[in-house]
Amino acid sequence: MSMRFIQGGLQTSVQDFGRSGMMRYGIARGGAADPMAMQLANLLLGNSPGNPVLEAALVGPSIEFQCDISIAITGAQFVLTLDGEVVDNDRIIQVKRGSTLSFGRLVSGARAYIAFAGRIEVPPVFASASTHLLSGFGGCCGRAIKKGDVIPFAETRTVGSRRLEGEYRLRYTQHPQLRLVAGAEEDYFAPDTIDRFYSQVFKVTAQSNRMGIRLAGSALRCGNQSQVISSGLCPGTVQIPPDGKPIVSFVEGQTIGGYPRIAHVISADQHLLGQLKANDRVSFTRVSLAQAHRILEGKSALLRRLEAELFVQW
Amino acid sequence: MKPSFAVIGNGDSALDIRFDAEPGEELSRRIIVLEQAIKAQQWEGVQDLIPAYQCLTVCYDPLACDSGLLSARIEQLTGQVLEYPPELARQPRLIRLPVCYDAEFASDMQAVSEHTGLSAEQVVARHCARRYLVHMLGFTPGFLYLGGLDPQLHCPRKATPELRVPAGAVGIGGGQTGVYPQATPGGWQIIGRTPVELFRPQGERPFIAEPLDRIEFFAIDREEFDRFNQDALEITLLEPAP
Repeated sequence: MSMRFIQGGLQTSVQDFGRSGMMRYGIARGGAADPMAMQLANLLLGNSPGNPVLEAALVGPSIEFQCDISIAITGAQFVLTLDGEVVDNDRIIQVKRGSTLSFGRLVSGARAYIAFAGRIEVPPVFASASTHLLSGFGGCCGRAIKKGDVIPFAETRTVGSRRLEGEYRLRYTQHPQLRLVAGAEEDYFAPDTIDRFYSQVFKVTAQSNRMGIRLAGSALRCGNQSQVISSGLCPGTVQIPPDGKPIVSFVEGQTIGGYPRIAHVISADQHLLGQLKANDRVSFTRVSLAQAHRILEGKSALLRRLEAELFVQW
Repeated sequence: MKPSFAVIGNGDSALDIRFDAEPGEELSRRIIVLEQAIKAQQWEGVQDLIPAYQCLTVCYDPLACDSGLLSARIEQLTGQVLEYPPELARQPRLIRLPVCYDAEFASDMQAVSEHTGLSAEQVVARHCARRYLVHMLGFTPGFLYLGGLDPQLHCPRKATPELRVPAGAVGIGGGQTGVYPQATPGGWQIIGRTPVELFRPQGERPFIAEPLDRIEFFAIDREEFDRFNQDALEITLLEPAP
């Protein structure tokens, strides 16, 4: 019971919800860059929401399955084929032993999630199967998957065919509006700098990865740069380094930072950062802390509703 | 002296407890004792605690707890904890790190000499003379933020960071010194290399130090560098058991 990679893709890795409680040692939580997409795929298969999945970025893999298994693919939309026949994402795909799943052209988003009715067998590191790509541990040998790798399944199941419909199908644009709450050092910036931050359209640069999303736009100056003393840095934080170009800390970001924090992407919208690719555009809107929490509750309720609906179908 | 503090939002899923006092051993002790006290409460929804020079960050899951209530609880507990002298639950340790300062590992020794006006031998002697305090870990897995660098050794960071600094590289950046646990980009002036692995994810002890431990560097030659055995790391307990 295993799968063999005929092509590894650009950056395919094992992910789950990541690891908490390790930030005091410099270890970011990590895990799926778009945990919303990961959870939808797992729920569709009747798995627990954080069952380990494969995250495939920009150029997906080709996988030969050595067992019968049901799978589901969510997140970024790619042209997908199973033994040459086009298959859809957001629905259960029945894979037969010997079949090959191939990722073709990327249509929208940046990262797809392949979930399995069963369990990928990789040794847990700090209680998580997720790959920490920048630090080289966890997942499959602490790295992105390469051609020729074989990943075993500890268990496999097949489940009845179903699909995600309507509001459960995530759609990604190349110009999302991300919602932010005020940054811990917002008052270090002049009011017109803050206005420019919220009114301009930023471009995502090619230097973006799971550690951080680097944005290009008209530079933002901070008068108080040297007064910031390094302290805890969380995913979603928008820092302004001396060159004035914002960096959004992401799932494998530093745990301690010392640049002024102008704003923070709200928890509910952080999964959208995982679907950004070079040359996409982003703009920012400000919300209150209470609104940020309400939006998160809304997205969480959506997942719970899906879980309940699928349970009824069984 | 008891420092004053404020609880401030750090995004929508973390709170910062910021202290109005100079960074140093006294404040770091208070921050670590407070971290232990918060951990002991086992509050629902608290996911991560990140100590730093003047701040303790409490990361929480907004779906599992109310941020206003958490903030009030933190405020109350911090006030209580600050009433008492900071007594640590674990004994701080002294870890002696061997460093080979030979030219092949010290690509920026000349720049440091030029900036400080000290010879390479003097730089090494001064770097090895101090006992450094581990304020916190962070930046990358296992990286130690050390306090106590000799002011004579302060040296500006490189204008353009190197794309790759090897694992174990020992450097000086501004008023800080430290060791790169893994090969990463970096802007510090490199003066040597330690054979000690600072981060071993699969090891029994993945990290060599905890906050409030002390680090000393001592010079070794190239042969000792090659022969170094990780299990031979010198660790001694510093304070009587609590």
